[in-house]
Amino acid sequence: MRLERILVAVNGKDADVEAVKLACDLAKKSKAKVYVVYVIEVKRSLPLDAVIESEIAKAEKVLTRAEEVAADKDYEVETDLVQAREVGPAIVDEAMEREVSLILMGVTYKKSFGVFNLGRVIPYVLEGAPCRVLLCREPMS
Amino acid sequence: MANDWQPKLGDKVVRHPRVRLHHLRRVLGIPGLFSTAYGDVGSSIYYALGLVALVALGATPVVLGIAGILFVFTALTYAEGTAMFPEAGGSASFARHGFNDLMGFIAGWSLMFGYIVTISISAYTIPSYLGYFWEPLKSSPVVHTGAAMGIVFLLMVINTIGVRESSRLNFSLAALDIATQLLIIVLALLILFNPVVFWQRITGYWPSTTNLIFGVAIAAIAFTGLETVSQMAEETKRPQVRAPKALVLMTIVVLVIFAGISVSAFSAMTPAELGSSWATDPVAGIAHNLSAAIVPDELAKGFSEPAHQIVVAYVLGGVRSALPVLVALLAATILFIATNAGLLGISRLAFSLGRFQLIPAELSRVHPRSKTPYISIIVFTLIALVLQIPGFFGPDVFTNLGGLYAFGSMLSFALAHLSVLALRIKKPDVPRPFKLGWNIRIGSWDLPITAILGLLGTTAIWVVVLIIQPYSRWVGLAWMAFGFGMFFLFRWLRRVSPGQTDGSPTGVTGDKE
Repeated sequence: MRLERILVAVNGKDADVEAVKLACDLAKKSKAKVYVVYVIEVKRSLPLDAVIESEIAKAEKVLTRAEEVAADKDYEVETDLVQAREVGPAIVDEAMEREVSLILMGVTYKKSFGVFNLGRVIPYVLEGAPCRVLLCREPMS
Repeated sequence: MANDWQPKLGDKVVRHPRVRLHHLRRVLGIPGLFSTAYGDVGSSIYYALGLVALVALGATPVVLGIAGILFVFTALTYAEGTAMFPEAGGSASFARHGFNDLMGFIAGWSLMFGYIVTISISAYTIPSYLGYFWEPLKSSPVVHTGAAMGIVFLLMVINTIGVRESSRLNFSLAALDIATQLLIIVLALLILFNPVVFWQRITGYWPSTTNLIFGVAIAAIAFTGLETVSQMAEETKRPQVRAPKALVLMTIVVLVIFAGISVSAFSAMTPAELGSSWATDPVAGIAHNLSAAIVPDELAKGFSEPAHQIVVAYVLGGVRSALPVLVALLAATILFIATNAGLLGISRLAFSLGRFQLIPAELSRVHPRSKTPYISIIVFTLIALVLQIPGFFGPDVFTNLGGLYAFGSMLSFALAHLSVLALRIKKPDVPRPFKLGWNIRIGSWDLPITAILGLLGTTAIWVVVLIIQPYSRWVGLAWMAFGFGMFFLFRWLRRVSPGQTDGSPTGVTGDKE
């Protein structure tokens, strides 16, 4: 599998770190381009282009952290911030627009009512992404 | 978007805020845009017919036809304006670009009033439909109004907390709604329609001239939702092309459905019944009478084959039992969603107006945790609740809300027409991805006839409402007076001239933590 472009979707959870590291490792072999994307979900009671300071500050922090992780791996990533109504469709759309060959996402080990739960974004991406999707799940502990 | 800047040795690294790199994920296509807007427009059929019949009696189809022509003109004006400026704000945005901030404020403030009334009236109609399951919801003013206020309050809480709304649900409901309405129209035409009776019901219940004129004004409520397309344009892929297409598609569907439902209503009952017993739930009235008229065994006799007769009788029996329940549930759901859409629309509009300093940005402050514009949601919902209070004391609230909607929407639509005309004069060279045809050439200006007629029609209706409806006149003017006071005070405090416009947003209007 030759990777030319990798999209890492981050959301500020600890699992992002491993996902970015893994993306850098995978990209190094084929000198692939790595995009790190954070999606701000805007509620329907606001216009899509509403500037929500606290969300932007959080996104900046997350993307800066991703750049630092990549720098530690001696690799350069391109970061971007997207505003959308829903995260899942935004990630899939972003992957299609950038024609990436892999979407990489970190997964936090989470249980809801005693059952392992992937949330709503990951299943959507798994179902809708046109390319390969790689999930990097955190250890249970 | 690549950031080409690279640090050099000795450079002090200053991080550029990534906010410049924001880009918006526009996901709506024509179906998504249409279904969202139809949720608004299609919902009005569940109350507009009864409201219009209450005033215009036998002239209801005529009045709806006249309002339909105005709706076409207004939709065309919105198509040109939205394609030029695909941003939240609708007529307020056109007026700001075409004139100045003051005109933008007048259009936006009156539009807000229309949204508030839509919230009140949509919620007020829900208990009537649910009355099929529990009669006091329809018959008792106290229970009816209390339930309606409870619905608005519930939506206020839900939207303040912030919930996810599925666009797939919107699409499915719009499809189910259109299918049910088409089923009602087809069945009514096949089983109930009689041209002679239909004509007698129009001529025999012809209203007074004043009621006829007020009926035209109030019929505008049948066509709420035009603004929704404009509001949603900013999240539409290729809005310059798709927003006008969605508007045209919506116009065609709405006119066909409204014409069909009017004919069905007049086939199913007299205008007096429609405007009294079924005023707040006219489609339930059609379903009720249609259901009573379906005699499966009799109708099945039209088929020669015994097997066909059995199948047809079985299907018609099912339709007869299911139709009233389906209409009650579907109407309540659609109206609930429309009430919510009104609430979302007004908070988005408030944010948009706040961004251009047309109203205080504090109104659209975002809650640090829920990320919703909680102040605008709470304030405007409370106003919608206040408008419902007269419902406890009598049924006049329904007509009065219709008049208030006509006051707000007609002023806003008139300004939309005026702004599109002004833009043709002041900014003739701005690209118009959708340009209206049928123009009159005056000097070097090409002015669209539909916008001129739309302007004259909406202005005339607004003036009529002012003259013949004291409740709408005083409540509407009080709303505008309060708005003007707030606008001038706010601009004075900000040291910005009321007429000034620089066309650029103030930037951040988000939350402060």
